[in-house]
Amino acid sequence: MTGVIVVVLVAALAFAAQRRTFAAYPPAPAGLAVLHRGEAAFIEGVAEVLFPPVAGLAIPGLDAQLPHYVDRHLAALPRAQRVQIRLLFAAVEHVTLVLPGEEPGGRRRFSRLSAASRIAVLQRLAHHRNGLIRLLVTALRSVLVLGYLGHPANLHQLGLSPFEIESVVSEAEWLFPRVGALKVSIPYGPEDRSDPASARGARPPLEPNGARHRAYDRAGRVSR
Amino acid sequence: MSVQLSQSTLGARERVRVFAEYDHTFEEQAEVVVVGSGPSGAVAAYELASAGHDVILLEEGPPFTVRDLELDGNLSMTRTMREGGLRMTRGTTMPTMQAIALGGGSLVNSAICVRPPDSVFDRWATGFDLERTSRAELDPHFDAISEFLGIAATPDAVQGRRNLLFKEGCEALGVSSEPIERNVRGCRGSGECFTGCRSRAKQSMDVSYVPAAVRAGARVLTSVQVQQVRRSGRRVTGVSGQVVAPFSHGRRDGLGHRFRIDAKAVVLAAGCTATPILLQHSEDLANASGQVGRNLQFHPGVAIAGVFPEAVDPQFGATQGYQSLAFLEEGFKLETLWAPPPLLSIRFPGLGEDLQARFAELPRMAVWDAIASTNRSLGRVRKRFRSLDPKLEWRLHPDDAPILRRALHVIAQIFFAAGARHVLPGVHGLPDLLKSVEEAAVLDSPAVKPGDLVMGGNHVFCTTRMHGDPTQGVVDEDGRCHDLENLYIADTGIFPQCPSVNPMLTGMALARRQAHVLSERL
Repeated sequence: MTGVIVVVLVAALAFAAQRRTFAAYPPAPAGLAVLHRGEAAFIEGVAEVLFPPVAGLAIPGLDAQLPHYVDRHLAALPRAQRVQIRLLFAAVEHVTLVLPGEEPGGRRRFSRLSAASRIAVLQRLAHHRNGLIRLLVTALRSVLVLGYLGHPANLHQLGLSPFEIESVVSEAEWLFPRVGALKVSIPYGPEDRSDPASARGARPPLEPNGARHRAYDRAGRVSR
Repeated sequence: MSVQLSQSTLGARERVRVFAEYDHTFEEQAEVVVVGSGPSGAVAAYELASAGHDVILLEEGPPFTVRDLELDGNLSMTRTMREGGLRMTRGTTMPTMQAIALGGGSLVNSAICVRPPDSVFDRWATGFDLERTSRAELDPHFDAISEFLGIAATPDAVQGRRNLLFKEGCEALGVSSEPIERNVRGCRGSGECFTGCRSRAKQSMDVSYVPAAVRAGARVLTSVQVQQVRRSGRRVTGVSGQVVAPFSHGRRDGLGHRFRIDAKAVVLAAGCTATPILLQHSEDLANASGQVGRNLQFHPGVAIAGVFPEAVDPQFGATQGYQSLAFLEEGFKLETLWAPPPLLSIRFPGLGEDLQARFAELPRMAVWDAIASTNRSLGRVRKRFRSLDPKLEWRLHPDDAPILRRALHVIAQIFFAAGARHVLPGVHGLPDLLKSVEEAAVLDSPAVKPGDLVMGGNHVFCTTRMHGDPTQGVVDEDGRCHDLENLYIADTGIFPQCPSVNPMLTGMALARRQAHVLSERL
């Protein structure tokens, strides 16, 4: 009988631990290739407090589609670096089980804490005496800043989006195909050269307030 | 748009091979095989092909056309950099990068071309038994490369406010400064050198020396990863490896096509961190001295952002347009700097609204940096298990830390002399903002420990160093390995010490000299 009680207790504890640490995440946004729903929820949880709505920037973190940006970034990385970043997410998501938030019930995973508690946890970790723990926040912040500030709407708002530049043809364009394509697909020849090193390639400097890349006028993310 | 192509154009294209064309394992022969199409390799291939030799130039990365360039700085790095741009040193932790693309680092660097002063070569000569590696000896090579690439001082028209503010700050302090000389023709000031020049103004190797080498008869094979240098006695016989898909980070992606190139001579120009790994994977080739992979040096860089009262419009202007060589003897060089704003911003202090307040300052911001000559700070390149990526061990020597502290202090002084309202020092343990010259004095105090500095490993050197004594170095003054009759190394790994200035031009000049020597020996 004692054995049965112990087994039931252990099972109950395991179930509670599993619920607290891994389960009950909201469904993942559609279109993610690498991130699972827990990671997406964690990224949203960080983005909400790291980039709140403020004047001067077009959109807050929650609207910046950061799970999709991070997903695309991870998909493009070598496996070792992808694993490292996912371990980083898992570490910060669960660090509050060891270093709990200060609110009642703060010993929950990071993404289930209140916004006030989440930013307080990040502040505490960012100034931790242990350099490795500080490094966790630095690395996490870096991954998300790249996506948040790199959002076309924010760059456009700050006047920092790339310039609109007329397409030119250099010797490389008629010698090499696009990445992954065959050489028969090259649409140019030497007569098409229009780069600055060619006879008809001279163009004036851009204007500091000149036209910016069309794709950055839109609110969504772009890839050329 | 033309469709009629001349025989010479078709012939040139025939000499180029890209990933989509490999459909079987293959073997080829050449007089010389050059491994790596970065600045040194591209120059070597061009010079040898121009001298009439049968040359094959191998590159692991793909060629990038303008339409392949990614505007997002972070995503661009995942495509153009090894390890997705996330390579770090161990010991003293510091990010460092190596490009993987036709043209190597020249595709994504800021095109800085600086000739080291005489004093650098004097130190090399006396410290490393070198007799012919002087500034005077190399000047004809510098001149020829400068003419070929159109190297010239950055004109005022494309400096932009953030570069000219540096000039004004230096002038106010009586510090000499000058426009940076770059391998650029017709720069328009888009400030996007680090993601590849869409204007094709930058004369990166993929639009300059590599096409010229093809025109001269060289064959260029891209998406091929060299895994071994083949040897027979005191001679090498060629290289072998596998085809790799673009952006696959070295995976074969199921193709499995292998290749072998037989050649009378091999020139390794795979880069300072890749060449020693290749030698180590080739049964520890050329390492009788035990120096392969040792003596790793960087130009560790530090940077400060300064915020001005008025708009700076930092997106416009040459990526790096101004510099000061006034402090070279103290061990550092100062430069202006720009990069995709998200990449610059990962170092900003604060979280939440504090962090976003810094983002909002970007339109009024300039960033200036220093690269330091830290000749006491040495490290090592080791191979990893079942990988061609290097393990980089490097530690900042405590006696070199004051150079970086002093550099930070000088940059802050220039910012305030130029009218900055405050600066973001980016040093752990210091205030997030420094608002006056007096406050900035803390940057040069012993309170700043080496571990507090946030550095980047800009340039890499010395892992196959040149030395007159075969027991002390890997290659001789002609770049030939001491242990082997026909294996040459032509990248910044052969530098005996850091050159104190941006290394691309020096690497190209040494490669040009080597190519001429090799040409005579073939």
